[in-house]
Amino acid sequence: MAAAVKTDVTRDVTRIERIGAHSHIRGLGLDDSLEARAVSQGMVGQATARKAAGVILSMIREGQIAGRAILIAGQPGTGKTAIAMGMAQALGTDTPFTTIAASEIFSLEMNKTEALTQAFRRSIGVRIKEETEIIEGEVVEIEIDRPAAGSSKGAAKTGKLTLKTTEMETVYDLGQKMIDSLTKEKAQAGDVITIDKATGRIAVLGRSFTRSRDYDAMGPNTKFVQTPEGELQKRKEVVHVVSLHEIDVINSRQQGFLALFAGDTGEIKAEVRDQIDQKVAEWREEGKAEIVPGVLFIDEVHMLDIECFSYLNRALESDLAPVLVVATNRGITRIRGTNYKSPHGIPIDLLDRLLIISTVPYTEKEIKHILKIRCEEEDVEMGDDALTLLTKIGIETSLRYAIQLIIAAALVCAKRKGVEVEVEDVKKVYTLFVDVKRSTQFLIEYQSEFMFHEIQDKDADMTDAQL
Amino acid sequence: MAALVALYPEGTKVTNVTSGGRRKMHYTLPDESEVVEEYDVQTDELVVRKKRSKTVLGAEGEWIYEVGEAPTRVTIENDLLRPNSSNPLLVRKDRPHAFEWRIRNLPYPKPTYAVTVDAQDNQIVVRTSNKKYFKRIDIPEMDRLRLHLEEAALSWSHENSTLIIQYKKPQQIMAAEKDAKVARLTAPEQGPEQAAEEQCKQQ
Repeated sequence: MAAAVKTDVTRDVTRIERIGAHSHIRGLGLDDSLEARAVSQGMVGQATARKAAGVILSMIREGQIAGRAILIAGQPGTGKTAIAMGMAQALGTDTPFTTIAASEIFSLEMNKTEALTQAFRRSIGVRIKEETEIIEGEVVEIEIDRPAAGSSKGAAKTGKLTLKTTEMETVYDLGQKMIDSLTKEKAQAGDVITIDKATGRIAVLGRSFTRSRDYDAMGPNTKFVQTPEGELQKRKEVVHVVSLHEIDVINSRQQGFLALFAGDTGEIKAEVRDQIDQKVAEWREEGKAEIVPGVLFIDEVHMLDIECFSYLNRALESDLAPVLVVATNRGITRIRGTNYKSPHGIPIDLLDRLLIISTVPYTEKEIKHILKIRCEEEDVEMGDDALTLLTKIGIETSLRYAIQLIIAAALVCAKRKGVEVEVEDVKKVYTLFVDVKRSTQFLIEYQSEFMFHEIQDKDADMTDAQL
Repeated sequence: MAALVALYPEGTKVTNVTSGGRRKMHYTLPDESEVVEEYDVQTDELVVRKKRSKTVLGAEGEWIYEVGEAPTRVTIENDLLRPNSSNPLLVRKDRPHAFEWRIRNLPYPKPTYAVTVDAQDNQIVVRTSNKKYFKRIDIPEMDRLRLHLEEAALSWSHENSTLIIQYKKPQQIMAAEKDAKVARLTAPEQGPEQAAEEQCKQQ
């Protein structure tokens, strides 16, 4: 019956996630005593900043202290967002970690403070027991029919899954989503699996004991479990973490036909929030739930205006506040919405509440390391000489520019049917794509030939801190 | 209403409306869970009884059909998985003197089945010797009145690929249902507006 598993093997190895700017980061790279390892989990250098972040992390894990705020300040391209990402990765999926850019909260549909409140409440989790319906059984057969070749691309796959317990057997029709997750979990005949009926999440518990004598190739960590008894569908209590915002949304939804007429702006009434807070407090007292404080990370925090800053001041005082991490690359600049200048574009009273971590520019060796890690992440083979040249470019121009050249150089290399990126490839892309410095130089030289140069105001202020 | 007290806890609110040849009773229990009963206007047979309650987080739960059959709708939510239509399907029907269950799509010969009462869990248990079907059946009415199931009241037959199980209603249930029927028939008919008013709490 094992032959009935018809899954596409080539499809399994394709990566679903795209490669982002920080996808090589898997943690903060600290050891048990919170010392930063030189190169670990995708992090390079910034030893003090990482160590500081590690201290904050242990504070978050303890979960006792609410409403602390941390500012990560440093020049562009010194790993501020990387540190925040590292914190998120190190905290794991059970701790809520919300990332927003400060400019996200400026929307015509929603109040600034409402957007901030929602971000705050997204970052507070509630761990609660809920009863859900699960299907638990041993896989007898998985049958996936793919649409006939030549049929339209949109045609969905269909499939059947047969599950059994010691007492009964049921055939299920599978939807597209279910087929994907079955393939992802690599479930096959003889596995004991559970399916959460509401979310469709599949977990493979192990292999059935009845299959223990099959002459299958199996790893040393193959776990054997008993075939479940009784009915396939069971009600079971599961513990999961939901954010306060999710509970708000569930309870603020208009019921029934009224939902059709309610112009939903996404704003949630204060009364609903109060009710939820009260209910959560009740659950905590009864021991039904516990609070999982998370992290709210606001990137480019200088883009917030004075109203948001004063809101933050107040919001941090609530005992349900998460740990707030903000990052900025500005020096002394204008606070948005005022004419006052302040360090990092943040008012002094808020700055006073912040613990400040500063990042410093990378050294040559560190830049080389980062480029090497990025080469691995982007699946590019690069020669030593080319890497040295790229490092030099990185020092002269910027780390971001050097990172962007990696894939471009790889493409040039592929064009000339080379195996490894060499010095000429890097040289070629260096001439093809201009970095900021060269572009500025070019503009200064040929400024008069561009449009509007004649009305250049002498004291024009080009900072974005203006209203 | 004495009958209500027997079947539903005190503080239950009732509204009713007749539409589509069915008299629909809507009960809101004190814990905010809802029960809907639908009676055929002509025969006064209970066609549907379904209930739903709010989840812990406050979301609306799904209707659970105690009596009658859930509509088989294919919606986007059902994109995950659903039992194949060839699987055995259990539907409860209400008979005047007995609780009846019909399990369709059971093509195996009669000796395959074993229907017994599990005294400990107060459930009827259906087994098949070829291990194709297994079900534990609750009788919520019996649980509400804290009555024990008895093997003698149970009977079953198998024809046309359908397993029919009957459990004779005991005296207490018959009395409670009779009272409920009187209350139901004497209750004033409410217009749809009035019923809607009571159900739709404005925010």
